[in-house]
Amino acid sequence: MTLARRMWLASATLAILVGAAFAALVLAVSAQREATDREARSKDVIAASLQLEKLVSDAEAGFLGFTVTRAGSSLEPYESARRGLPARLRVLQTLVADDPTQRARVQRLTSRIHGYVYLFIAPLIPLLREEPGLNEDAGPAQTGKSQTDEIGRLFRNFRSAENKLAAMAARDADARTHLAVVVGAIVVGASMALITLFGIVLARSIGRPIRAAASGANRIAGGELSLRLPPEGPGEVGELTRAFNSMAERLEENRRELEAQNAELRESERMKTELVSIVSHELRTPLASVLGFTALLLKREFDPPTRRHYLGIVDAQARRLAALLEDFLDVQRIEHEGVDLATEKVDLAVLLDEQAQLYAAQSPKHRLEVDLPERPLTVRGDPNRLAQVVGNLLSNAIKYSPDGGLVEVVAANTGESVRIAVRDRGRGIPADQQSRIFTKFFRGDAGATGITGTGLGLAVSREIVEAHGGSIGFDSDPGEGTTFWLELPGPNGEQMTTDAKTEVGG
Amino acid sequence: MERIERQPEFDPAPATILVCDDDASLRELVRAVLGPRYRFVEAADGVEALTLARELHPDLIVLDVMLPALSGIEVLEALRLDDELRSLPVVVITAWAHAEVDAQLAGADRFVSKPFDPDDLSAAVEELLA
Repeated sequence: MTLARRMWLASATLAILVGAAFAALVLAVSAQREATDREARSKDVIAASLQLEKLVSDAEAGFLGFTVTRAGSSLEPYESARRGLPARLRVLQTLVADDPTQRARVQRLTSRIHGYVYLFIAPLIPLLREEPGLNEDAGPAQTGKSQTDEIGRLFRNFRSAENKLAAMAARDADARTHLAVVVGAIVVGASMALITLFGIVLARSIGRPIRAAASGANRIAGGELSLRLPPEGPGEVGELTRAFNSMAERLEENRRELEAQNAELRESERMKTELVSIVSHELRTPLASVLGFTALLLKREFDPPTRRHYLGIVDAQARRLAALLEDFLDVQRIEHEGVDLATEKVDLAVLLDEQAQLYAAQSPKHRLEVDLPERPLTVRGDPNRLAQVVGNLLSNAIKYSPDGGLVEVVAANTGESVRIAVRDRGRGIPADQQSRIFTKFFRGDAGATGITGTGLGLAVSREIVEAHGGSIGFDSDPGEGTTFWLELPGPNGEQMTTDAKTEVGG
Repeated sequence: MERIERQPEFDPAPATILVCDDDASLRELVRAVLGPRYRFVEAADGVEALTLARELHPDLIVLDVMLPALSGIEVLEALRLDDELRSLPVVVITAWAHAEVDAQLAGADRFVSKPFDPDDLSAAVEELLA
């Protein structure tokens, strides 16, 4: 659920609770007002009934006076009561109109009063006027007494019922007020609890993740880009956390890219440095010969054979320079255009023998042995390029076994592929340099230990072998020696398979 | 040519110079520059140079810095730690910019930078052997 939705719900709940509390308050007030109204009406009802009773007793008094005096003036209170009676009765009837029980009582009272005033007294008065001797203390007086007693009793009952009703209404109002106050208090308490709870939930679900995001942002600013926030928090806060994490992800990715670019730049910088050091050494040595001998020839006199000998050296060294330059250009060309092969049938047996003789002549300390399973050993390839590769491997085998010793060249033919291995018993390749051996200009610590070379031989060799559809690799034990091998598609196979069944290196 | 004629007057036995360089053409250049008045022994790497120095006690060594097996600097250090070879004059030939400083620390007597002027090398060797 989103945070906005939660807040909306919480606010709505609060509004309902506050509304309920207000309603309870209104209820209490209205109950109280109703009780007051009822009480006031009861007072009116009792007052009206007292006035009515007074009229009845006025009527009785007037009538009793007349029976004694027989004077018409004695009837005055009776006459006055009789005139006011209907109005008083209507007032009382109106006051109790909405209470069936009291209305019934008023009805009974009305008929009794009518019975007494109109049906009992009214017919007796003319009778008493006409016959003054009529014994007044006999039956009529008794009958009137019992009727007024009955009316008095009804009045008392009526008033006592009215008082009871008023008291009940007051109790009821009190109970309702009490209930409303209790309900109101509970609702207000619940509202306060809800507000507090809401505050806590807000603090926890918003405050905590936001604090975490803020401190995370600081740590990321400090370079700790691998930092991720736990993906918690409702709705928008969760979105913030996710956005934060994806931002960190992007930053980290960018930094990785930058680091990779830096590494590339460092690598190209290293290659430039290597190139400078190779040029300064590899080119300066033959150049030193050329310059030294020419200076000598210009400054001093030598007999013709000596001069000729020195010129021969100058020529050879100049050619060496040209060959080095050619190597650099070769790499440049191969990198940009690939290897251009002039493919034909090549007898590797002849090629290996020639190269071995060439290099054996250059290093009397080394013994070169060529061991072939069959002659001729035919492959399809560029003879010059293949000679370049084999020459590179032999030259490396000699250079990296400075103490001399045996260099073995072996070959195996599976029909599908021909494998050639050149094994030396030299220093071997340190484990940490093995992965970079085929990198252009990489020479490990060869430069520092005085081993000459451009760092181009293996890089170019690999390009050539791969252009032939073959592969090149090595096995090396530091201190024990190195075996470089290459596999070329054999006379029967179009493409070579890297199935190395024949283990000739070891 | 004049000097060669004069040389036997002061030193009837020709001085032996150990030339150490991994490049054969540069060894030959050193021999050609210094001329026939000296006897030359050649070494192609550092180990060979040190072995020959101990065996033959040459009068002077012309030493290249970039050598296989044992660098020129290491050879020089080994020589200076050897009681018998400590005072042996050494001319260091270097094509390596920083080597000059290192060789100086190890106690080379003269430096000739590669490519070198024939007269500079001759002068350095003659001065040390005078």
